[in-house]
Parts: sequence; C-alpha cells; structure tokens
Amino acid sequence: MVYKVRESLMMEILSGVKRLEFVAFLATCVTILILSPAMLFAGDNGPCIECHTKPDKLKVAEKAKIDPITGEIKVSSMLIDEAAFKASAHGGEDFFCIDCHQDLDGKDVTEGHKPNLKPVDCITFCHDDPAEDYLQSTHVKLMRENNKDVLTCKDCHAGLSYHYTPIGDKSPRDVPRGTDPLHRKLTIDACGSCHQDYLNSYKNNAHGQVATLGHTTTDVPVCFDCHGKHKILNSSDPESKVGKERIIETCGSCHANANASFVKHVEHPQIKDVKYYKTLLAAIKNARSDPGNLKKVIKNPQTILCTVFVMYVGILAFTFSAFGLHSLLTWFAVVRDEYRRKEHGDDEQH
Amino acid sequence: MVMTSNTNYLRFRLFHRFCHFLIIISFFGLVLTGMPLAFRGYGWARWLYELFGGYPTAGYIHRICAIITFFAAFMHFIFLFYNTSVKKKKGYFWGPNSLLIQPRDVFDIVGDIKWFLGIGKRPNFDCWIYWEKFEYLSLMWGTLVMAFTGLILWFPVQFTKIIPVSVASIIDLPSIALIIHRYEAILAAGFIFTIHFFHTHLLPEKMPVDEAIFTGRITEDEFKHERLNQYKRLENQRQLDNYKIAPPSLFVSFLTRLFAVPILITGLIMVGLMFSALLVWAI
Repeated sequence: MVYKVRESLMMEILSGVKRLEFVAFLATCVTILILSPAMLFAGDNGPCIECHTKPDKLKVAEKAKIDPITGEIKVSSMLIDEAAFKASAHGGEDFFCIDCHQDLDGKDVTEGHKPNLKPVDCITFCHDDPAEDYLQSTHVKLMRENNKDVLTCKDCHAGLSYHYTPIGDKSPRDVPRGTDPLHRKLTIDACGSCHQDYLNSYKNNAHGQVATLGHTTTDVPVCFDCHGKHKILNSSDPESKVGKERIIETCGSCHANANASFVKHVEHPQIKDVKYYKTLLAAIKNARSDPGNLKKVIKNPQTILCTVFVMYVGILAFTFSAFGLHSLLTWFAVVRDEYRRKEHGDDEQH
Repeated sequence: MVMTSNTNYLRFRLFHRFCHFLIIISFFGLVLTGMPLAFRGYGWARWLYELFGGYPTAGYIHRICAIITFFAAFMHFIFLFYNTSVKKKKGYFWGPNSLLIQPRDVFDIVGDIKWFLGIGKRPNFDCWIYWEKFEYLSLMWGTLVMAFTGLILWFPVQFTKIIPVSVASIIDLPSIALIIHRYEAILAAGFIFTIHFFHTHLLPEKMPVDEAIFTGRITEDEFKHERLNQYKRLENQRQLDNYKIAPPSLFVSFLTRLFAVPILITGLIMVGLMFSALLVWAI
C-alpha cells in the first residue's frame, strides 16, 4: 500500500516536472523564433521563399542574363514559383536552396543578401557522374576525332528545349524530372535539333507517331529511353544500349519477353527519306561494277519497307484517280439523263 | 413519272443489315481513333486523338472496334459456310446472284463507259453491279489485310518469335505491318468515304442516303431502274411475288436518316481533312 502511494506520488511529481519542462522548452523556442534573425540553415527554404515569392519584397525582381549558347541577353525573373519548384527534379523533400547557393550558408538574410551570388557549381558535388559518363560517349569521341568543339553540358541542358519555367526565363532550378511528359517531349526536339533525319524517321515509327501526337509519358519511348542519356554509344560498342549485346535488355524493359527476332525491328524507317532512295538507285546503277554493294542494300530491312511504301503510294494514286473519275462520270451521266428526260418529256425506260 | 407504284421489294435480309450496321459502328470507331496516328503532324489529328481519350484510351477503343469487325467478318463467313455447305444453296460463287466477278461484268463495264461518253444507254444490271462487287471484294481483302497486320502490331513480340533471326534481320514484320496497316487504312477510309458514299448514297437520285441497306426495302421503280435484269429474271421465274414487302414505315425511314446522315457527314469531314493534309503536303 505504502509503496503504491509513494509510487503514485512520485509519478505525479515527475509528470509535473515533465510538463514544466515542456512549457519551458516551448517558451524558449518561441523566444528564439521571435528574436532570432532570418538565419539560413540547411533544412529550411522558408526565409528564401518569404521574399522570393513577393515582388515588393525584392530589391531587384529581374536581372539580365546572357544565354550561354546564343549569347542573347534575356531578362530573368528572381521570383520563385513554389509549385513549379516543388514539381521539379530539385523540389524533393531533402533538398534546399543553400545546397546550391552555398555562399549564403549560415548568413543572415533579414536585410537581404548581396546582389550577385556565386554561379552555381552543378557538377562538383552533385552531377559529377553524368559528366564523366558523357566524356566517355561517342558524342565526345567523334567530336574530338573530327576536331570539332565538344558539346558542353549547357548545349543540351540549357535553353528552352530543356528547362522551362512558367515565370521569367529558364532556370536550372526548376529543371523538370525525367518522368515529366513535357520535359520528355522537349528532349526529342533537343536531340532532333542536330539529328534531324533520325527525328523524321522516328516520327514514322509506331513509337514516334504517338509521341508526335503529344503523348510522351514514360510508356511512350523517347530518344533517351533507348539510346541512353549521357553515355550514348555507337551500336558497335558492346556497352551500347542499342548494340547487339544489350538490345534485348533495352527493348525488354517495355516489351516483356523480347526475343532475338523482335529486336531486329527497324526503329527509324527511312520510307520518306530521299537519301535512301538515292543510295538504292545508285546501287542498282552500279550493279555490274559493284554487285556486293547492291546485295548489301537489298539485304537492308529498309529496302522492303521502302518497296511496300512506294507500292502503296501507287495503289492509292491508281485507286483514287480511277474510281474518282468513275464517280464523277457516273454523276455527270445521271444528271445528263435526268436533264434529257425533262427536256424531251419522254419517260423512257432503258 | 406520273404513276408511282407503292410496291416494295426485299433487297437485304435482317442479317445483312445487321452486319452492315456492325461494320459502320466498328469502321468509324477504327477510323476516328486510328487516322490521327497516320496524320499525326496536323492539329485536327491531335484534337481528334484527345477527343477519344488520347494514349492509351484511343488505342483500347481501336482494339474493341477491331474485335467488333472480327465478329462481323466471322458471322459473314459462318453465313457463307452454312448456306453453301449445310443448306447446299447454289449461286453464291457463280451466276447472277454471285458477288464474285462474272464474265458479264466486263460487258457491263464497257457498257457503262459508253453511257458515260453518251454513246449508249445506261446498261441494265443484275443483282450486283460491278462496282458493288469490287467494293465487296475490296472490303473482304481489306479486312483480311488490316486484321492480320493489326494483330502483328497488337502482339509484336509473339509474332516475331515464330520467325528465325536471320529472316527477321531482313524482313522486319512489325515495321512492314505498320506501313501496310497505315496506308491500307488510308485506302479503305478514303475509298469508303468517297467512292462508296458517292456511288451508293450521294448519287443525285439517292441523296442523302440509300435507305435500302437500313430498311432492307427498295421500291418497284428503284428496282426496275437499277437492276432491270434481276427484275425481269425474277418475273420470268415467277419469284417476284416472294420478294414483295410492305413499304418501310415513316418512323423507320426517319430513324435511318437520323442515324445515317450524321455518319455520312462525319465521313465526308474526315476525308476532307485527309485530302487537305495531302494538299498541304504537296504544296
């Protein structure tokens, strides 16, 4: 009994102390929050959002920027669209403004901050792997071999083709996620801006025709789904996603049970490419001097596709001209008969 | 003509009318969900594709309509098999009632050309006019081609599995199927929406719709005007009375027009858009 009373008394005292402690803690927190200046620490975007969503709180709401590719001067807004940022690749749960703008780490921004922050270094701490992958790609290899300027990250990753924001100019901040349909669609245009022929032939394919209609969700493959993103390699490379060593795996990521015959699919049919017909004609012309080349051209799966296409153009042209003429003539003859019948007033039964 | 007889004859039995109805429904479903893919670069194609739910909903509608087409084709062949093999009826493959090309069709074509040029009178036709036979045969052939290529596109992995790799590297089945499916579709849709419409429904004497395939009946005047040979043949065989039937009620006629006219207009708009795309491409 005695013990029990003591126990309950102890409990009461203890819980009272706990309550007191909690109130004290709360009071301290509130005091700190009220008194403290807007210090920037990892884990909070609040102070940034506080000003960068309200134009009247910003000293400079717009800044001029030079486009890294075209050299054009563009006006860039300093406002943040919170919804766009949250939806972007950088808008995750554990990612914060000062992770990129590191020169503001631990600074007091109650009175604002210096007008020009250091340019953000995307590569050193975060995106170092893609850069390394890219340097091993066929893009870089070919450009170095041919003494051309190697494309930099920004050639693909900057510009409206890659980053889009609803407000102001492009900003790497709001870079969309890889699964974003609009982003996936824009990458097709980005690749196509150099590889025009391949873009055109892709649009003739089953995948490309759906993408052209504007559907680029993850179940419709765009360029990078098959060719890879940074480490794009020639198909002769054993590591290439479209080479014979890995093609079954690549196609199989969507088409379950993809087999060795299935992956022979021509993803870029050149049925509307004049260049293909030229090589075909040249091969036929030089059939005697170079029969090997003709054989190679005929064995190309494109040949059957182009033959079928040309055949169908012929069938369409013949059918519609022949039957169109027939329809017109029938019409005229019926009207003529009607006219004659009225003219002569005879109800002839033919 | 002063005297208009009110006698009607049965031209299409309920089975054929039902099959034609099924084909209309499935064909329009297929064209409206499939044609945007063939004309993917144009604004109207996007609009139409989105109207039917976009990807992948439009594709599902396309496949459901394909199954309806398969069903109609299946019923047609069961009908043929039942009548020729079980009931041992004659005249399906040869003779005046056959839908296959007969020697006299050649004379009909020559006669028609003479009529066009104003040299001769309009030839008298039998049960089926040569262009109707051509339409029937192209529908059969077209359905077969579209069904086969469509199935390859529906199950590309399964179809390529049956061909060896060495053949697959020269003959790419799904790509060939896609090209055939696309251009055969343009051929079929273009043909139905122009040639079939203008030869059957939109003739000056039939405008706006030939109701025979919906009500199943034609008037005596129409019968004599279009198919005098068949009329005379049945008259000689004393079978004409077997085909006599009451004229369609006003309500059925109204329903027919209510259904057929919007369908015809939709088809004409589609072919107009397709043709404008050709013009844009050519210019």
